[in-house]
Amino acid sequence: MIVRQPMARIVLDDASLVFRVRQHGRLTLKELLVRQLFHRSVNPLIEVRALQHLSLGLNEGQRIGIVGNNGAGKSSLLKLIAGVYRPTSGKCLTNGRISSLFDISLGFDLDATGWENIDYRGYLQGETPKTIAAKRRPIAEFSELGEHLDMPVRYYSTGMLVRLAFSIATAAEPEILLVDEVLSAGDITFQEKARARMRDLINKARLVLMVSHDLTALAGFCHQVVWLDRGQLRALGPAREVISAYSEFAHGNRGAAA
Amino acid sequence: MREYLVAMWRCRYFWLSLARNDLRTRYRRSVLGIGWSLLHPVVMTLVLCTVLPLLLAVPVKSYVPFLFSGLIFWNYLVSVTSTGCQCLFQAEAYIRQYPAPMAIYPLRNALAGTVHFLISLPVALLLSWHFSGVTNPWALISLAPTVTLYFLLVWSTATLAGLANVFFPDTQHLCEDGFQILFFVTPVMYDRAILGRVQLDWILKYNPLVHLLQLLREPVLDGRVPPTSAFVSSAVVVAVVMGLAISSLVVFQKRVIFHL
Repeated sequence: MIVRQPMARIVLDDASLVFRVRQHGRLTLKELLVRQLFHRSVNPLIEVRALQHLSLGLNEGQRIGIVGNNGAGKSSLLKLIAGVYRPTSGKCLTNGRISSLFDISLGFDLDATGWENIDYRGYLQGETPKTIAAKRRPIAEFSELGEHLDMPVRYYSTGMLVRLAFSIATAAEPEILLVDEVLSAGDITFQEKARARMRDLINKARLVLMVSHDLTALAGFCHQVVWLDRGQLRALGPAREVISAYSEFAHGNRGAAA
Repeated sequence: MREYLVAMWRCRYFWLSLARNDLRTRYRRSVLGIGWSLLHPVVMTLVLCTVLPLLLAVPVKSYVPFLFSGLIFWNYLVSVTSTGCQCLFQAEAYIRQYPAPMAIYPLRNALAGTVHFLISLPVALLLSWHFSGVTNPWALISLAPTVTLYFLLVWSTATLAGLANVFFPDTQHLCEDGFQILFFVTPVMYDRAILGRVQLDWILKYNPLVHLLQLLREPVLDGRVPPTSAFVSSAVVVAVVMGLAISSLVVFQKRVIFHL
């Protein structure tokens, strides 16, 4: 039998993402009635165009950085590719097992112990009791949490949570790796370890996309860089070129404002 | 549809362990342990069986198992639906991280509720046998399709409640009020004879829950396999609710994340 391993691939075809949110949270019964009566909402819908008509084709072997100002749509793009958001229009197709490292301290069941949370996260990513059994020990060792793992996660400090989250998230063997500024995990000794692990993970993954404001790190890690500006693709090209164009733009803006 | 089911199957250990964890924390935190799921129907049965015979001419002996069997079904439906209102908020952390099929979150509530129901089912049977004598146990086989129908029903109502609550924060209160009303027009504590006497039996014709209750009561109380027509009408009711749940998922699933 031939084991067919399709190439890791991400294709965005004219993808747009629009958030429609209400000014004051969700619509209540009172509001619905008031609006019916007065034909005017006191809680209007606001449209946020997070991504606009983005077309990209990323292939196996590429390591791509994403730069842009705050609110440019960097994180939204990663979440779109991860499948957490679905495009409002256009297409987003991916091929390959995706592992994402963003908001890594999210996704814990606070009442469950550290061990149980290791299992839950694993199961959510499609592990089975057999495959997760082999990974529990290395995850626990990397996190250095020791017997704290028997404790409900509710009692963990933020640093401990981040360690556990990072250890679990990086234990996967992803084909497509999505990273959103997680290099600042835990205390200094853990940070060094985390950085080494990240490097290792990035080297192993077949297609990497990462968001960072640390432009030197990006230039070191990535071959190519995407520059997003207010949800639109401003540039895509060799890392150094795009990064220097972007920093020139960012500094120019700051100069103009001053 | 097929892809969706495959995706749900792929993360089966995830929702199974969430449901298991829900049950464990619930039992671990109470002195009663597993008896917790029986507490509510037992207390209600005790109260109503003390009060109602004083007001109405009901024979206590047959009323106790009648009421208890009605209450366990009612409890099952109401508790899964109202906890289902929160299911997507409860899962927010997971939804923000992974694109898992959203139907697994109400499934968690439905599974836990089904376990509670299955624990109270033998108690209903023992009550019935104690008060009215042992009936034909073979009829109990008909409970297998019945429990399946119940499970699909509560999973669907929890899905609808969960989705509605995301877009409309009053859902849980409205749900509770709705169930309160529904309780009085469903023969949970009244039997058909009482409703007939006060000329309310037209309710029985239009309330879809009547058939579903019949599926539980006939084998448990009378040792009879319910008529095929009761199965057919119940299946139609469940199919309609499921259809609603599935189409709501199709329409709203991808918008949920923006409203959490």
